[in-house]
Amino acid sequence: MARPITILKALATAYRRDWTAIESLTGNNFFLLTLLLLQQAGVFVYLILGLVLLFPLSTDPLRKIPPSRLALWPLTRREEWVLRAAGPWINPLTWILAVGAIWSAGRTISVGLWAIIGGLFVAAFALSHLPSPGRTPMWRRVPGLPGPLNQLVRKNVREILSTLDYYCAAILSLTVLAWRLFGPPLPHEAYMAMTVLTVGAVSSYAQCLFGLDGEGGLSRYRLLPVRGWQLLLAKDAAYLIALLPLTLPLAPVAAFGGALMVLAVGHAPSVEHPREQTRWRFSMGGALGNGIVQMIAMAMTVSSIFSMSIWFLVPACVAWTGSLWWYGARLERAL
Amino acid sequence: MLGHNGSMISCRNLTRRFGEFTAVDQLNLEVDRGAICAFLGPNGAGKSTTVKMMTGLLAPSSGEVRVGGLDPTSAGLELKRRIGVLPEDLGLFDDLTVEEHLLLTGDIYGVPRAETRSRTSQLLHALSLEHGRRTFAAACSHGMRKKTAFAMALLPNPQVLFLDEPFEAVDPVTAKIMRDLLQSVARHGVTVFLTSHILSMVERIATRIVMIRKGKVVWNSTVNELPQSLEDHYFDLVETPVVEELEWLGPSRF
Repeated sequence: MARPITILKALATAYRRDWTAIESLTGNNFFLLTLLLLQQAGVFVYLILGLVLLFPLSTDPLRKIPPSRLALWPLTRREEWVLRAAGPWINPLTWILAVGAIWSAGRTISVGLWAIIGGLFVAAFALSHLPSPGRTPMWRRVPGLPGPLNQLVRKNVREILSTLDYYCAAILSLTVLAWRLFGPPLPHEAYMAMTVLTVGAVSSYAQCLFGLDGEGGLSRYRLLPVRGWQLLLAKDAAYLIALLPLTLPLAPVAAFGGALMVLAVGHAPSVEHPREQTRWRFSMGGALGNGIVQMIAMAMTVSSIFSMSIWFLVPACVAWTGSLWWYGARLERAL
Repeated sequence: MLGHNGSMISCRNLTRRFGEFTAVDQLNLEVDRGAICAFLGPNGAGKSTTVKMMTGLLAPSSGEVRVGGLDPTSAGLELKRRIGVLPEDLGLFDDLTVEEHLLLTGDIYGVPRAETRSRTSQLLHALSLEHGRRTFAAACSHGMRKKTAFAMALLPNPQVLFLDEPFEAVDPVTAKIMRDLLQSVARHGVTVFLTSHILSMVERIATRIVMIRKGKVVWNSTVNELPQSLEDHYFDLVETPVVEELEWLGPSRF
């Protein structure tokens, strides 16, 4: 039995490290500002955050071991069964769900809620074992674009699609779309509020634009004969391409202005304090102060365009262009 | 537009320090147009640091370097347009496929789209990458990643090629193809500067041998001027292999 225990110990260490990525949520300015500003009303947002986070955390811990390695280890059939049975209990989520289920026994509504969460967990656990249909996962099927930077933009879109922030924004957007199709008419201001929330949900990513490029990617940027502003432009174009479809059921023009402000403020931490990010986690932005400035600038721009005039797009464009030029030059020095 | 004595790569007293540690110490070097220069030395000798200074990725602490007559520090963008590099970490993006990396290179270096597609097909075919052209770099084997980065270095038809350990982790057939390709580009006037630990391959391809140890050049000559086999000369000058008995293997059984 020593072999399965050794393997489980190693897995527990790997999982403990992996779970530190959940700290990303505490550095996500959308989460923090929801906590500070929305408080009670933020429960809906927290439910979405929790739901989005549940899926990547529900994967089978044994998947951390490469199948070829697992097949090579001299394990008996009994030891394999022990590993199979004990593996899921390495995941802290299993314990949380089990304790929650016991605690909620006798409370009808809570039992139902835990059953739903538990069901989602089991579904995600089982799905993590299924091979993806086709050779390329859906989120990587990004069509080609025109222009000399097209492959960089394409790559950057794929990076955004591998963060949880995007799916959080997608759920917000789809909720509004469903409401517009099947529910009673929404008050006019609700579109503005949901636009602020949706753009805000992906605002932290704009603070760490190079976080998913890895050391190899940064090394390639240093070798490519392109200016710093072109690299930032490829990042920004991807951000807008990914975000704007989500804002179509909301207020797309106001969202465009808000997104430009998010990018204008986000260039500074992206270039000067780059932070490595983890895929399938929430983006961890820079300092809280930067996040607050980003959200306030974005909310003001969205509300000005939405409530007053489309001409408020002009200062947003100017701010974004100035930031692109300034931080493009700084990026060349930083690389 | 060339360096001292008309050479494509020229280093004068090139030095790089990291705090108290001197990685490259007063390095002098000239490499002619169309030459294949092998830059040899043990791990940590200063090879990659030298290549990084030559390609503008690292500023020298003192001394000067010219590539195609350009100073990598001040004319970085112009230099990048003229050189092809296979970096130590390969410099690939996890979210691009093998083929997309080559298309990206063509677009960025201003190669016309039709020409890029033609060169991409040729390189994928030559390097046996056709079957994996739509594989994402993150899912590629190390050999495939190495070949992709090698193809990216060749595609813009550069004046100078810098290759950091190009033959490591590739199969013998591909290594032979890479060797033939490099000899072909050198015949067309491209200067090749490579580092490698595979001395048998280096001996076949290089026209100039430079050996470095603890940041200092200990040998610099054409391959014909070597007094003995490259391997023997390397062991004599750079490092002598010491084989230790592993006692825990127990007594010899044969």
